[in-house]
Amino acid sequence: MSSDSLPLRIWLPLILCLPLLGGCVTATVQQVREASTGLADTEAIVVLGRKDRPSSDETEMNFVRCVGDRMGKGGQRMNVISEVAFRDAVFPWFEPRTAPANTSDLPEIIATPVVASRLRELGLRYLVWIDGSTVRTDSAGSMTCSVTATGGGCFGFLTWENDSSYEATVWDVQSGQAVGRVSSDAIGTSYIPAVVVPVPLIARVQNSACASLSNQLKTFLLNG
Amino acid sequence: MGDTVRIMLSDNRRPYAATTLRCLLACVMLIGLAGCLATEIQVDEETEFPVPLVPKIPLRMGVHLPPELLDFVHKEDLGDDGVFTIDISDAQSTVFKNLFTGMFDQVTLIENPSHPEVDVAGTIVPRITEMQFSTPFQTRTDYFEVWLKYQFELYNRDGDRLGDWFLTAYGKANTQNYGLNTTPPTLRAAALQACRDAMAFFTISFARESVVQQWLSAELAASRSPVQAGAGSNPARTQGGS
Repeated sequence: MSSDSLPLRIWLPLILCLPLLGGCVTATVQQVREASTGLADTEAIVVLGRKDRPSSDETEMNFVRCVGDRMGKGGQRMNVISEVAFRDAVFPWFEPRTAPANTSDLPEIIATPVVASRLRELGLRYLVWIDGSTVRTDSAGSMTCSVTATGGGCFGFLTWENDSSYEATVWDVQSGQAVGRVSSDAIGTSYIPAVVVPVPLIARVQNSACASLSNQLKTFLLNG
Repeated sequence: MGDTVRIMLSDNRRPYAATTLRCLLACVMLIGLAGCLATEIQVDEETEFPVPLVPKIPLRMGVHLPPELLDFVHKEDLGDDGVFTIDISDAQSTVFKNLFTGMFDQVTLIENPSHPEVDVAGTIVPRITEMQFSTPFQTRTDYFEVWLKYQFELYNRDGDRLGDWFLTAYGKANTQNYGLNTTPPTLRAAALQACRDAMAFFTISFARESVVQQWLSAELAASRSPVQAGAGSNPARTQGGS
């Protein structure tokens, strides 16, 4: 196949579409139920990232947003209050310094009349705490790129493995109890082969973990 | 595939492609240089801070915002990492306006806490005495961290200084959350979080401060008995206004 015979309009879409192939991702979801659940049409949930101190790691903001967005869309969608709006609405009770670490801390906060009133206004039924992160567990390969006045290019091969591990703990605001946990683990390997043009084959590990966790949370909350 | 790319670059669109590439490289280098040499962040008055959701203390409180608070800018030279300027001066009036609005029945800005122009139960004067920050390069993490040390002075209704206390607030932000040129937005988010933490910390600790406890219990008792409250106050200051 001569490259001279294939114009840019054929090669360019092919190159642009290659990343869509992506790398392989394996996701596992588990759940532990401690009490029955259910959500009325007027009730809402909020998905919060754990920001306790001292802590060297926080759950990524985009992951927490992704879970919240997915739970508010599609089949079995529910009313989801955004994390920022919720933290502002009940400030200062869910800041890193003051957020309840355990369900035993929750009744004291909820017992404050102004907070109870605000939670009723919001229609909040469940708090979903997300803990975990995505880390790069392995990487290999090398790539060299050069640019000159007449053009440039890259040559080499890169590969890396990402591991996403998240756990969602669900608290029932009405009963002040933890009703269960849902965990999602995903692992995937990404590749970038480069012969002049680097072609990224990215494994969307975090996205896969988000999709599986939010789907399982929907099932957990609505079919309990 | 390699041949194809070479043909594309040697085609008559090459000057355009090469120019675009040079522009992109120049932009990347400029962004990198800007990040390395000087970083300026500002948490301005447009930034929204929440009003604390707490039972209001039934007092009319004065607040004096001194010029050193309203002009507070932290500048630090980190050598090879560049000069960092963190300007949170404009945010301070919003921070304290919202904080005291949530905590007290009424809040009045006072020009001189030693001679309050209106009848207030007391006046609080906040100041930033110290600011520190750390970069991911220094801590080998993904986080920018900011520490703010506030000093609060309390004056009673007669303008006598009762004492002061300190509060250290902390904020951190993860560079992973802020795209490519992470330094200014992440540092700004950490500074913003430190301001929020100061508000949260003040809200939950105010009534527990030893300087505050005695004054607060006396004022609350006086507010329940109007005659007693009037006896201790200067009639010239009971004109109201907020």
